[in-house]
Amino acid sequence: MSMPKPGLQNPNTAEMRELTMSQAVNEALAEEMRRDPTVYIIGEDVAEAGTPFKVLLGLVDEFGTDRVIDAPISEPGFTGIAVGSAMTGMRPVVDIMFGDFLGLVMDQLANQAAKVHYMSGGKLKVPMVLRTNLGATRRSAAQHSQSLQAWPSHIPGLKVALPSTPYDAKGLLKSAIRDDNPVVFMEDKLMYQFKGPVPNGDYTIPLGVADIKREGTDITLVGTSSMVHVALDVAEKLQEIGISAEVIDPRTTYPLDKDTLIESAKKTGHVIVIDEGYERYGVTAELASVIADGAFYYLDAPVKRMGAMDVPVPFSPVLEDQTVPTPDSVFEMAKKLCARK
Amino acid sequence: MPTNVIMPVLGMSQDKGRVVHWLKAEGEKVRAGEMLLEIETDKAVAEIESPADGILSRILTQEGEEVPVTQVIAVIISEDEASRQPSATIKSEPVTQPVKVPSTPEARPVVPSPLAARIAAEHNIDLQEIKPDGGRIQKSDVLNYLSTIKTVKETAGFEARLKASPKARRLAAEHRIDLAQITGSGPEGAVLADDVLTAAAGLSPAVPSIPEDKPVTPNVLLQEYATPGTIWRLMAEHTTKTWTTTPHFYLQRNVNASRLLAWHKLVNENTAEKITITDLLVFIVARSLIKHPRLNTVWQDGRIGLTGEINIGLATAVEDGLVVPVIHRADQLTLSVIAARRKEIVSRAQSGKLRPNDISGGTFTISNLGMYSVDTFLPIINSPQAAILAVGRIAEQVVPVNGSVGIQPMMNLVGAFDHRAVDGARGAQFLKTLAEIIEEPIILLK
Repeated sequence: MSMPKPGLQNPNTAEMRELTMSQAVNEALAEEMRRDPTVYIIGEDVAEAGTPFKVLLGLVDEFGTDRVIDAPISEPGFTGIAVGSAMTGMRPVVDIMFGDFLGLVMDQLANQAAKVHYMSGGKLKVPMVLRTNLGATRRSAAQHSQSLQAWPSHIPGLKVALPSTPYDAKGLLKSAIRDDNPVVFMEDKLMYQFKGPVPNGDYTIPLGVADIKREGTDITLVGTSSMVHVALDVAEKLQEIGISAEVIDPRTTYPLDKDTLIESAKKTGHVIVIDEGYERYGVTAELASVIADGAFYYLDAPVKRMGAMDVPVPFSPVLEDQTVPTPDSVFEMAKKLCARK
Repeated sequence: MPTNVIMPVLGMSQDKGRVVHWLKAEGEKVRAGEMLLEIETDKAVAEIESPADGILSRILTQEGEEVPVTQVIAVIISEDEASRQPSATIKSEPVTQPVKVPSTPEARPVVPSPLAARIAAEHNIDLQEIKPDGGRIQKSDVLNYLSTIKTVKETAGFEARLKASPKARRLAAEHRIDLAQITGSGPEGAVLADDVLTAAAGLSPAVPSIPEDKPVTPNVLLQEYATPGTIWRLMAEHTTKTWTTTPHFYLQRNVNASRLLAWHKLVNENTAEKITITDLLVFIVARSLIKHPRLNTVWQDGRIGLTGEINIGLATAVEDGLVVPVIHRADQLTLSVIAARRKEIVSRAQSGKLRPNDISGGTFTISNLGMYSVDTFLPIINSPQAAILAVGRIAEQVVPVNGSVGIQPMMNLVGAFDHRAVDGARGAQFLKTLAEIIEEPIILLK
């Protein structure tokens, strides 16, 4: 089930380059727009500005303002346009500047896009992608720093992808665009400059397939998005004290690759689930529950969850850094869980 | 106004107390001064009186639970308040009618529905135990009650369940190892997978056996074990703690007891209350401590605490061990009051009816084993007190008297001191004062 590690992936593709996360997303969009004329982008500052994070830079030059559409500052409005156009056969990619603005588009997303296929008896479909971001520690304060992946993950009819590497970002985004269901695609805004190997040319990663980012035997660290890298750092540190950690990246919270999570938990008997969203009722709760249920008789300790604290994300850097799981806090928790005689 | 019942402070070093036994149930009437419950501290078991008249409305600390001192452990409300709060737990006076709800204004006799009665009978349930939602006991009331009992039973079973991780349980079953035989290394002693694997590895080579060259200690065949009572257990814990944490030193002195005996004879001629040698010693020690306040201290957290009162504890043997009831402010009491008080507390100690005040606040302890014909002994301090006086029997001995050989009634005193609070010189000076008064009691009049 698992994909090979970055750098070893897709042996059929000869050319591998180091791309940033931002470049990988840009390349996926460009390739899909060339491949399929129904694919278009709509959002705030997406054309000339290429978004505040410069992810879409250059796309308007190639595809023009008919396919890279700068919308007025009305998220519900342009998301509604996208949902409607998707029903007519287009494949819109909506850009929501900050994940925190999901609240503005929630009706279009949860009540329209997610439900139309079902309520029309399968006559209509909404092959839309809504790209937005997550992630704290950018000093963007409480309204621009949240990781709200739990919200769309909760809604039947929506798929949710959380790429953690440039490779995953390109492959998952292509699958999302080609999927006939609405997919919420959330990128960590702090990882846009994170580099990794990406094959030149077309490849896809199926939605609903977890990736074993590192193999281990003593403890499973399940991480999403930014937290995959925290988990990898921790695994490295744990190795030094003789604890072998396995790092699992579900890559999509829905569909969820339960089997990979459960199998890893059965193997190690100790699990920490880490997600940058609020721990309270968060993504970690669902993953931990799936693991506890599926691997109960193999668990040697309770499944631990680590997420953002139960507070608005502070602007103060000193405080903000403490609100989300850190390599130190995860390392301490892992040591505690694995404590031997 | 509801009255709170609190966990009392009985000893200077006491920070917690355990409820041993409630003598009254929730809803029962209580009178101020009536015994309400038994508590256990690090030193003894004591009965606590009700602080007010009224109804024991709520018990907040159950039997066996330990709580910090001054924490509220129960609430007593007046009967007026009780009648205004129908929701409070109140049992009515003995029921005259078959089944009756508590005496609320709208109280009516409660009749079960035939179906409810049948279900109750099938499950052996007493209908009086059931509190109906409405005016009549319905099927649903009985079923609710049934589920409550079931929950209680299940909860109790859960608590008794051995702690082990799911993985450990599975491995134990696979290796056919009894989890109860494994010492857990996990949180709260939970058995973890590694514990099971270690045990499995240890068991697998052969049938477990004890090597013959390593006999199990003790090397005697134990016929049976006696489970000590509460007082014995507390004595064991308290003396172990004191003995292992307090640096004891001892000073010993022989004193001539002829004047003491003369005094004893004299006071008993003129007093209705029988006065014992112990009473005289309490009197003497209390007044000596006025001159030696340093002996009347406690060592606590690196500081010497002066106590301000002279409260003499008497080590008293009871059926189940040792208790130390206290004669408070003994330096201010006359001999006959000391004797009366001693009689009272010793008798309460022996009948197991000590009250909190009887065992609290001691600042110095006397242990007299003279009546057992012990010549001398080295006592353990009653911590956190700084000193204890061990008194042996008065016996005739051959001693030098004014350059010739004489026979005198002699008594041996041993002072045991906590070297953190008292040094050798101070202990010796105290013992000197004591000896001088015992040999010449008239000094007290100085």
